[in-house]
Amino acid sequence: MSGNNDNLGKAVKDFLAEAEEIIDQLSLDLVGLSDCADTGDCNPDLVNSIFRGAHSLKGLAGMFGFTDIADLAHNLENLLDSLRLGKAALNQATVSVLFDSMELLGTMVRGAGTGVSDTQGIERAVSRINSCLSTPPTTETVSPLAGLGISEKILGALTEYEEHRLLENVKKGRGIYSIHASFSLMTFDQDLGELTDTLKQGGEVISTLPSAGGGLDAGIDFEILFGSELDTAAVTALVDKDNVIITHLGGGGEERAEAETSVAVLDGGETAAAVDTAVTAKSFSRTVRVDIGKLDELMNIVGELVLSHSSISQFVDNLRRDGHSAMASELGKSTKVLERKLTELQKGVMEIRMIPVGQLFEKMSRIVRKVSREQGKKVELKTFGADTELDKLIVEDISDPMMHIIRNAIDHGIEPPEDRLKLGKDEKGVIRLSSFQKGNHVVIEVEDDGRGIDVERVKKKAREKGLIGPAEVLSDREAIDLIFLPGFSTSDTVSEISGRGVGMDVVKNNIAAVSGMVDVDSTLGSGSRMTITLPITLAIIKALIISSAGRTYAIPITSVLETIMVEDRDILTVEKKEVIHLREVTLPLLRLDRFFETTGMSVLLESFYVVVVGVAEKRLGIVVDDLIGQQDIVIKSMGETFRGFKGISGAADLGDQRTILVLDVGGIINEAMRGSA
Amino acid sequence: MKKILITEDSPTMRSLLASTIGSVDDYEIVEASSGFEALRLLPREKVDLIITDINMPDINGLELISYVRNNPNYQHIPLFIVSTESSEKDLEKGLALGANEYLVKPFDPTRLLELVSKYLG
Repeated sequence: MSGNNDNLGKAVKDFLAEAEEIIDQLSLDLVGLSDCADTGDCNPDLVNSIFRGAHSLKGLAGMFGFTDIADLAHNLENLLDSLRLGKAALNQATVSVLFDSMELLGTMVRGAGTGVSDTQGIERAVSRINSCLSTPPTTETVSPLAGLGISEKILGALTEYEEHRLLENVKKGRGIYSIHASFSLMTFDQDLGELTDTLKQGGEVISTLPSAGGGLDAGIDFEILFGSELDTAAVTALVDKDNVIITHLGGGGEERAEAETSVAVLDGGETAAAVDTAVTAKSFSRTVRVDIGKLDELMNIVGELVLSHSSISQFVDNLRRDGHSAMASELGKSTKVLERKLTELQKGVMEIRMIPVGQLFEKMSRIVRKVSREQGKKVELKTFGADTELDKLIVEDISDPMMHIIRNAIDHGIEPPEDRLKLGKDEKGVIRLSSFQKGNHVVIEVEDDGRGIDVERVKKKAREKGLIGPAEVLSDREAIDLIFLPGFSTSDTVSEISGRGVGMDVVKNNIAAVSGMVDVDSTLGSGSRMTITLPITLAIIKALIISSAGRTYAIPITSVLETIMVEDRDILTVEKKEVIHLREVTLPLLRLDRFFETTGMSVLLESFYVVVVGVAEKRLGIVVDDLIGQQDIVIKSMGETFRGFKGISGAADLGDQRTILVLDVGGIINEAMRGSA
Repeated sequence: MKKILITEDSPTMRSLLASTIGSVDDYEIVEASSGFEALRLLPREKVDLIITDINMPDINGLELISYVRNNPNYQHIPLFIVSTESSEKDLEKGLALGANEYLVKPFDPTRLLELVSKYLG
């Protein structure tokens, strides 16, 4: 390696990114493994893919000197190697060890470079892994492959794993075929991909050996080793191609009745189809991995282009006003084209950032399995709307709070199986995870059919802790909202997240950090529902530009419900707070200058504008001096220094050399509801 | 300028191999992210040395070695295996198929460069 530190730093970053990707894929595959471990009928490709992941991870971690990670990955790889070679038994206990080790690996990768290492945890994991490795069964002395007449050339290039798969196919009494195909060098990957896809519908592709085609430079031949319950005629019918020669090498029941074979086709077809997509998606992947920082940069440039465009439009207006109408109209036309293209560009860059929430749901399904196993509860996870798309950064940021919510639902919501039976419920609890788009927001709901929140208990606890006065009367809704207050959580309340000491206030703050809101609904005895409302993206947004006390601010248009004109005499004061009645509903008002404690002069007029904002179910009227207009803005973070500054989510450039603050509507609503405004 | 084909499915490992060998001015690197890509690149690029991993999707390293050694156009090209030592059998097979050298990951960059220069002069 070169001694260049920058290069090394980048390489380590690449390693960590790839390692995380591998672990994510592995965890996903493990879920699949867990599903088939009971029947013992797991697809060999799945086990092999998990093995290859651990194998790559070991090699990479070793290269970068992360010896702890390499060691653990090495032990995992050993176990997986034994599993794929049939030397160790696959059952739920093994899957559980794999899950836990993978989780530990994930933690280690995320913590890599910090120098902290959980030596005991690693030792424990390694000893659990080793306990799964039973003594290998005595290997057969006479290889059943001898009688098959497979050429030395093919046998010589079989990996140990492929050799094992070949043996397994022979043991199962499947026919072994050599399938010879000739392709052009230009298109072989696609042609071969199609052929193996077809073959997988009728059996297992054991190995693929390339050899020089007849014309050497122009073509390429492949010798595929294929195991199948089909007879030669059925395999020939399945492939149905001129450039493919099928030779039956041995094994299988050529004499088997036709009726039986057709059943076999169906069976094989179903199992193969399930894995097919994963396998082909990997081999023929046409995706590029991009650092999200680069997309942010692109988005910033798009934002600046949008600003330049506005100044050009302004210039067109000036031209027109000064009487140069011909020139103005020419330039105006071009500006329109520019605007259209800019919109497309902006949309394109936005789409790249979007990922389906399904990726998040997969993570949650692991958590559900893990926590329900730990707690001895039976839980089924049902997911809906997994293809709803959301900004990748948001998905990442809500992953932790989601995990806490799910843990909470299992810990405190879902009852133990015996209790559920007594209550007349199905012993298996259900958690519904659903997602859908609602206007400019994405809503994620987590619903359980457990105990629900005991409102009276919550009120009692809040009184004991002095969070509410002894005589304060609260509605059920208000009482449930108490669980989000800091300091509410204790070890025996409904809102505590087991073993982590993290309260719902942290969950709420984490969600608010991405301009989201969380609401809870609950019915005692029948379950709770958490509703998380999130903006689709944080990168570029339409905003309403307003002014208050001589300062200009931007309000994300996604949170603006309407703007209204209010007369001074319509304002009422309830419990020292200003409110107005808007269509029979009481709307609390907030004055920005008081909220931010700014010293500028707010003009006191008889009538003024109120911007009605809302996130999730909450509404607030923000009193402003003037509505300036709508504009696309790129929100830029203001850095760590301003992190604790409530009510501001960032800054934006207006294009005329002015930088303004962007209001964090969710945060402001929270603060206002708490009564500090 | 000698041309070296690196076949490795892990992007990080591939760029590590490439930057190690590419640090010497005399070597030009061609990268393949799979066995298939290597098959496609071989007739296009006049390669002087091949480096391959064993465990890869589509075709594995052993199959690639067999292809190279059985093809009159490429059989003379020196070939190294750079792989994690999980299966001794696979490594032995690779050598039996005609690989000239093998390095075990994590590989020693100095040793890799020594071997490359030994075969390419």
